[in-house]
Amino acid sequence: MAEQWRFIYKPNADIADLFAFPAALAEGRIAGKYLLSKEKLTDTLVILGMRRKGILAGADVSINKELAAVNSIDVALSPRSGKRGAQPVGTLQFQELISNAPRTFKSVPVDPEEPAVLLYTSGTTGLPKGVMLSHKNFYSQCSQVVAKVLPLQPNDRVVGVLPLYHVYGLSNGLISTIYFGCSIALIPQYSPQTLLETIRTVKATMLIAIPTMYMHLLTLARARKTEIPKTLRFCISGGAPLPLSVLTDFERVFNTSIAEGYGLTETTSAVSLNKSGDNYKPGSIGPPSSGVEMKVVDENFQELPDGQVGEIIIRGDVVTRGYWNNPQATAETIRDGWLFTGDLGYRDADGYFFITDRKKDLIIRGGYNISPREIEELLFSHPKIEDAAVIGVWDKRQEEVVKAIVVIREGETLSEKEVIQFCTANLAPFKVPKIVEFRKSLPKSATGKVLKKELREGYSDERLLDKTE
Amino acid sequence: MSTIPGLGELLQTIAQKFKRKEAILFEGTAISYQELEEQSNKVANALQALGIQRGDRVAIMLPNIPEFVYTFFGAQKIGAIAVPFNTMYKGREILHILNDSGARAIVTLTNFANLINEIRYDAPALEHVILTGQRTLVFCQPGSTAVVQAVFERSRFASADAVFHAVGEVLVQVLKELGVEDAWYKHQGSIRAHGKKIGTILLSTLENLYILNAVLFLDSLNADEFFKVIWVPPEIKDKVLEPMTSIREETGKIVTLEEFKNSFTVLFQEKFQADLTPSELKRDELFAYEKNRALAYRK
Repeated sequence: MAEQWRFIYKPNADIADLFAFPAALAEGRIAGKYLLSKEKLTDTLVILGMRRKGILAGADVSINKELAAVNSIDVALSPRSGKRGAQPVGTLQFQELISNAPRTFKSVPVDPEEPAVLLYTSGTTGLPKGVMLSHKNFYSQCSQVVAKVLPLQPNDRVVGVLPLYHVYGLSNGLISTIYFGCSIALIPQYSPQTLLETIRTVKATMLIAIPTMYMHLLTLARARKTEIPKTLRFCISGGAPLPLSVLTDFERVFNTSIAEGYGLTETTSAVSLNKSGDNYKPGSIGPPSSGVEMKVVDENFQELPDGQVGEIIIRGDVVTRGYWNNPQATAETIRDGWLFTGDLGYRDADGYFFITDRKKDLIIRGGYNISPREIEELLFSHPKIEDAAVIGVWDKRQEEVVKAIVVIREGETLSEKEVIQFCTANLAPFKVPKIVEFRKSLPKSATGKVLKKELREGYSDERLLDKTE
Repeated sequence: MSTIPGLGELLQTIAQKFKRKEAILFEGTAISYQELEEQSNKVANALQALGIQRGDRVAIMLPNIPEFVYTFFGAQKIGAIAVPFNTMYKGREILHILNDSGARAIVTLTNFANLINEIRYDAPALEHVILTGQRTLVFCQPGSTAVVQAVFERSRFASADAVFHAVGEVLVQVLKELGVEDAWYKHQGSIRAHGKKIGTILLSTLENLYILNAVLFLDSLNADEFFKVIWVPPEIKDKVLEPMTSIREETGKIVTLEEFKNSFTVLFQEKFQADLTPSELKRDELFAYEKNRALAYRK
């Protein structure tokens, strides 16, 4: 039997109606239940069309109301949802969950070797793998690596601009801050202006950032000619090599000192640091930190003499015990406690390490590992794509970017824009190819393996070549 | 060598030592070690009350905000394993991490409720979706957006899933009638055509009521215009701007609100076994309506 419903149709509504209609209907119903109102309020359906442009925004969204008025956009704010507000089905509210929870808790005892965190990182085999990092891994990063190289003091103020979901921001930013009892200024979203402003307002003493950020800060400082904060007593750069000119200029302009770090998710962040000063060697990742062993080996796991290029391997308390639920990948990466980094390089006579190339088929962009395989597999799932290969190439600014080489199925048409849109729908923005090239076929070996070296011809990492002269 | 403390214990020890000293500086406010410790303890208690235990995985999909830190240390205090991941990730990337880690709970921004709901049935281990932050965002534009809202008794349906299913089916049928052959709807969340978003469904509960909010795109939305006047972090902008399509883009035809309404109401009456009577707000409701409009347009 059909139920009675009311139907409200308002083709000339505005943005506030979007919030006010359901709120009014719900309030009416709830009031009716308690007040025994005479009017019977039944279930109601509403269809609204807009007469003006509008934005309905949550309380934490910042809106320029003057600019909105100029652009004829109405702005409605939904109120901060309290305990009694409507909740999306099947979800819990963080604030509500903790508001009545007790303030004290005795930590459950843990085995320091147990994983405390899983951080997903891309390798060569496609989908990201969960790197298990234990309490001991983090503790060792603080007590061995950070404590020796840059002893933080409780009065230090660290800039937390790197995302906390990345090993570098989590380990060297957040957890080091807590370990040494410092303060961390959290920046939810990076922009050069926000970063500079934060350094200035909190009088930051420690900056942990990636090369791009140092370049941006330097550009901004030069352009602005305003007062440059000179409170930074120490900085670390990691994720990619920092050009020497940027390092020296930044140190001079900001009156600070930068150490370049090298590390992986698998090593709980840094394992070596190349500190500027008398012992600094341009192009090097520095000597291993205390508590960390590093060596260069050939394909038979034999240590190579100084100056010879091989794979860099690492052992120590900061090294992961492996990948979550993935013994095969673990066995391939860790042997006798030694982590195979996939980075090729050599050690000089002073014990400093240098990286010359990457063994693994991996793209690294802004410190994030990108697996070409993962993108290729997505492209293979496109009905109009016959074959595809993804490589990393260096753009004019010497940043590694993702390039897709696509073979279109016979009789089909496909544009660069369509390929990029398809990737955008399915991938985080940093993985989406910046360049798409269409070819009739891909160069392949006798065994059918795509010859990526040939695809890469014409591109080279000039930055790395410069540094290993 | 002395025993190594767990990360939860580490915070406890440091907080006892530094008490009122500032631990976190965020948007002009300072959070002391004592507050950080207490908030983390609250999260630990709350997670434990949800049944999360030592060794369980707790996913964190948050930008650098204090809730990240509270959740992280809250999880550490109960011996759970934190699984923080990139806020830029899309559906299939998130699904892989949720399933590979077997996370039982996720803490994320309110904005991502739809995104998580859309995939959560494919992540069987995930029991709890915990939302924080008030950064929801809806754009409307004349001729482009059709809004469907409903307020009704929860007892009409066996479950929220049943509601999603019914509404999703009606909207997909409407789209097909209007010429979008490829429209499909999987779970709670978005309606898609050729993989692109053509509509969204959000279902909320309040006491004994369900509150439904659905938006369907009749024509393309000029989102750039909206982003001139608001500021949201890129991970949110990116999801608002995820490839979208509209009836006009899919069919080349302009569909009016009137046509949409006619198609929708017929199919809705069938599917919901409803008898729709045109109406206006009643007295009690009008009062609440004016009050809420004033609240929404407050300066």
